[in-house]
Formats: sequence, structure tokens, C-alpha cells
Amino acid sequence: MSLSHEREDNLIKTLKENFPTDIKDATVMRRSRINVTVAPEKILDIALFLRDKLGFDHPTGVSAVDYNRESRFEIVYHLASIANPAQRDILINLKESVPRNTPKATSLVRIWTGVENFERESIEMFGLQFEGHPRPEKLFLNDNWDGPPPMRKEVRFPTD
Amino acid sequence: MTTTDKPAQESTLGSPSPDEPGAQTLTLSVGPQHSGSGHMRLIVELDGDIIINAEPDPGYVHRGIEKIIELRNIIRSIPVIERPSIIDASNLNHAWVKAIEELQGVEPPARGQYLRCLLNEMNRIMSHLYWLSIYGVFLGHTTMFMWPLGDRELFIDLAESLTGARITYSYLVPGGVRRDLPQGFAEEAIKRTEYFEKRLDEYENIFFKNPLFTSRAKGVGVLSRQRAIELGATGPTLRGSGVEADLRKDEPYAAYGELDFKVHTRPDGDSYSRVMVHVDEMRESSQLIRQILEKMPSGPVRRKAPIVVPRGEAYSRVESARGECSFYMIGEGGDKPYRARYITGSYRNMAAISAVLQGVRLADMPTSWWSIDYWPVEADR
Repeated sequence: MSLSHEREDNLIKTLKENFPTDIKDATVMRRSRINVTVAPEKILDIALFLRDKLGFDHPTGVSAVDYNRESRFEIVYHLASIANPAQRDILINLKESVPRNTPKATSLVRIWTGVENFERESIEMFGLQFEGHPRPEKLFLNDNWDGPPPMRKEVRFPTD
Repeated sequence: MTTTDKPAQESTLGSPSPDEPGAQTLTLSVGPQHSGSGHMRLIVELDGDIIINAEPDPGYVHRGIEKIIELRNIIRSIPVIERPSIIDASNLNHAWVKAIEELQGVEPPARGQYLRCLLNEMNRIMSHLYWLSIYGVFLGHTTMFMWPLGDRELFIDLAESLTGARITYSYLVPGGVRRDLPQGFAEEAIKRTEYFEKRLDEYENIFFKNPLFTSRAKGVGVLSRQRAIELGATGPTLRGSGVEADLRKDEPYAAYGELDFKVHTRPDGDSYSRVMVHVDEMRESSQLIRQILEKMPSGPVRRKAPIVVPRGEAYSRVESARGECSFYMIGEGGDKPYRARYITGSYRNMAAISAVLQGVRLADMPTSWWSIDYWPVEADR
């Protein structure tokens, strides 16, 4: 396996050139994996750029991570590319952080329809809010679930 | 009985005017106790017998596995990881150990990698056969139900002799696999795969050319290439819509880079295409098993790996029977992950159910949505 990350570095360079102030951090995690942290208010523009200009047209999932010690949630969009066969192996983790007391983010369903269910799961499991989500309803939990969002770190199992 | 002289009240329940919204359609709740739904519910809106909208309502088999694996050490989590899709346990297990090994920087020995691929491919066939037999149930084709389930035993026996368990093996561990091939495994596997390929020819004649199947699958439940991509569909569903994407080729892992195989696609995106992609893949996996046994190097099958998730992030991607299975793992140095996001093929393909069912007749609903190979337990996790 080659150790050069030319394709990954080029993608990061293009992103930084187009969004010099909104990309907070961009690193090559390893070959084929890129982490990009962006300002939440600009995520829509960057997502559109990723989809239309860089060919990341295939959403593979959305994760939410509760960093309770830092009082923030991180929302991570995992993106792959079908449009460009030369970067089929590359996966971009597009990250944004929202404060834990006002966990509001912009929904990216209008960019990738496939993230709808994943965002819905983050709503019910972490108590996040996605503005512009077409169906912010429960997905896996019971409709009458009234406990706290169960994936938050402070929610423990009774046997813990 | 006495009569009252109260004047009969005029009923307010009469038929609504045909111009009212919703007056022409009927909303049906199919499942979760319905033989055509699986462990989930489909809320179907009908105009006559044409489906104009179908919404999956999952969650009936949600176990909170992402929470459970935050609380157990990585070895104790392996059997939990396998539960969502016991018919495809090895591939899910692979995604888990791959994420851990990435963080640990541990590379299993070559023979261990080949043994992983061996069980993965056996599991792919077993999973596809199980799926095919349920497809037979949905078609009302009893033979199509019995044959694949019977032939699945060929591989279940092999897996049992390799791992000690019929379906949930916990065979892959960080650093390699639990044990080496038993004596006489290769000869038995070659015999069984060759027999299985002959059986696939018989399937071809009795099922796949059968008008009972083709008339309900060809041109039914079409998912276009563009729609499949934007919905994030994966695995046979994506390949059935003409996209040549397979992680075993796109980002070769374990021993797949050294193996020779083809990625099968069909251009039409209908139920028939998705079914045939599964069938082609079984043939391919069967030859892969022989190839793996032939090319397998000698040596150790396992390397020592610590029971620890080092600080950092990893994203593992594995081509399971139902498409990409991945773990987004965040470690902080303990024996359990800080967060392990578990994304399965079925979860991703759930989005395709609505798209596939639009415009399909109600009678074709079970065969259309099942052609996606959506396994509710794997989606709920």
C-alpha cells in the first residue's frame, strides 16, 4: 500500500481553497479516510459543493457523538462517491459541532435524500434538532417513549 | 324491545365527497404481525390496488446495540454484534474487528485473512439462500421455499466444522480468527460447492425462468440508478440498479485483493434484477470458496492483539450480504469504545423501500420489497 495521500490531499486543498474560513479542520485520517470539520452555519454550502463539484453523491450514514465532557454533540456525515470511480474507496467524514444545551443543526436531506432516516435516528436517540427535516418523527423508538434520549452519555443501564 | 319516538339522527358518517383529499385512497397498516411484512410495519396508501405511498415503520426489534457495545469490552461485544443478522454473522463480525484492528494497528496474518474471507463467502451464500427461500414464501412457491433452505445446510455444516457453531460463530477476533481449518475441510468444501453450483442450474430452470416468478418480478418495483445512489442504497440493491460498486473490489480488505472475482450488476433496477444479482453472487461466492482454499498460504491464523481500543477514530467498511456494513469507532484507550456507530446494509436500504413500492400493485408488495433483501433486525440493531 502506498503511503502517499495525493488524492486525499488534493480534495482537502480544493475544499480549503473554496471555503477558506469555514473549514475549521481537515485531515487525512489514513489512506481513503478524510475528516473535515466545518462551521455549522456553512454546512449546507459545503455539502452542496461536495456533492456537485467533488462527486460525493452517495451518503453512507450519519453518526452523532455525545462529547458530554466538552458540552457538545458532534454530527458526522459519512460520504462516499459513486460518480467518480477513482475515489470509490474514499470516505469523507463531514463533521459539525453543536452545543449540548441548544443542539440545533441544519438538515442535509435536501442535499442527500438518503440521510433522512439517519437524521431521524439522531433526533430520537440524542435529542438533536434538524431544521428543515421533512419528518422529524420517531423512527425506532416507540411513539409513546417519554424517557430521555437514550444514547446520551448520562443515560445509564440499570445494571451498570 | 321498545321503540323510542326520538327521530333518527342523520348520519354524519356517509361517504365523503369524491373531491375531498384522501377520499379516493385507503391507508393500510401491514404488519408487524403480517406474513408479508417481516418484523416491521409498512404503512401503505392505496388508490384502488395501486400503492401510491409506502412508509416503513421499523423499530419492533430494536435492541439498543449501539448502547450495549459502549458498555462491554470489545471481546464480549462480538456475540452482540452478530445478533442483528445471525444469517450473515461473519460479515458483521468482520466490520467490528476491522475497526478495532485499524485503531490498534494490528494486521492479522495472511492465513487468518484468507480464513476470514472463507467464512464471509460461505455466509454470503447462506444469507442469500435464506433470503431466496423467504422470497419463495412471498411468491407462494413452496418448492422455492424448501430448496434453498435445504441447500443452505450444505454450508451450515461446513461452517460448523470450521467454527463449532451453525450460525453465530464469533469466529473473527481482533488479530485473526479463533481456529485453523479442520482436517479434510478443503475436500469436503470443494465437493459441496461443486454440487451447489449444479443445484443453482436447477434453480435456474425451476424458478428463474418460471413465469410465476418472472411475471411478478420483471419490470415491477423499479429503482432507478440515480435514485438508488442518492438514497444511499447499497449491496445487491445498488448493483441491481446498474451500479458496479462492491467494497471487496473498491477498497479491498482481508484477502480480497488477491482473489479473482467479478462484481455482478443488472441494469434494470426491477425486482427481477435484484433477485438475479443475488443468484449471480452466490455462484461467484461458491467459486471464491474453492479459490480461497487453493490460494490459502500456510502459517499462523492469529496474532496477539490487546483488549483495548486506543484513542482515535476509525471507519471500517465491509461488503456484507446486504451491502456495506460499517463501524465508526471512537476509542479513548479503554477496553470498550467511547462510541461505536453501527451502520448496516439493511438500515441504508430501508430508504429504498418507499421508492421501490411506489406504483406497485398491492399483491406484488411482498415480493417487491423483499427483493431489496431488507432484514428488519439488521436495520433496527
